[in-house]
Amino acid sequence: MLFRSDEEITSWLQRTCQNRGAVLSLQRLWALAKSWYADRMSPAFRGRTTDEAQAIFRQLNLTGEFWGDARS
Amino acid sequence: MSLPPTESDWQIRQVIYARLVATGCAPDIRDIAARFGLRPAQAQAALQRLHDAHALVLADDGAVLMAHPLAAVQTDYRARIAGRWLYANCAWDSLGIPAMLGADAQIEALHPLTRQPIRFAISGGQLVGAAGGLVHFAQPFRHWYDDIVET
Repeated sequence: MLFRSDEEITSWLQRTCQNRGAVLSLQRLWALAKSWYADRMSPAFRGRTTDEAQAIFRQLNLTGEFWGDARS
Repeated sequence: MSLPPTESDWQIRQVIYARLVATGCAPDIRDIAARFGLRPAQAQAALQRLHDAHALVLADDGAVLMAHPLAAVQTDYRARIAGRWLYANCAWDSLGIPAMLGADAQIEALHPLTRQPIRFAISGGQLVGAAGGLVHFAQPFRHWYDDIVET
């Protein structure tokens, strides 16, 4: 979900009784979208393995348990 | 245990993506069956294999619901490309549509608290607008496919 500030995220989480997950700037999300989706309509696309997904996360410095980084 | 998609299944997936991009709508099971010379049950089995492989997402009635980043239904997130609104499954996917198509886009996301649209764009490969915008991911990666609709 897209918010205008971290205060709004806190308000939303309180309202919906949810725990905080991960927060990315829209600029960082654009970088992730390009890496994740650029090949999605390629005839050669055959899905993505967990290792391939985590390699994308690491390239964008998305590390830690939330992003499935077993080393964290 | 589910079977992996066949090469023919992946071709069906290509047709679904092309139709969604061209019209905003996914083909129904009769369309797919006719296009590939299959019986409806065979076409549905192909979609199920693609669903099981996380290559698309089916609704409870067996229709295509999501072909990430595209949504086959109207959502709170949409991208306007070449004069057509295409719906996305989430904020990430609203950026995924221009990323996938390599195109400029105007994007609208309904604010979860106010329901007012937040507008931004991709222009020349650059993000424009919505300065300070933040996206919250509720589910960690290992749980993304436990309930992809909620994710």
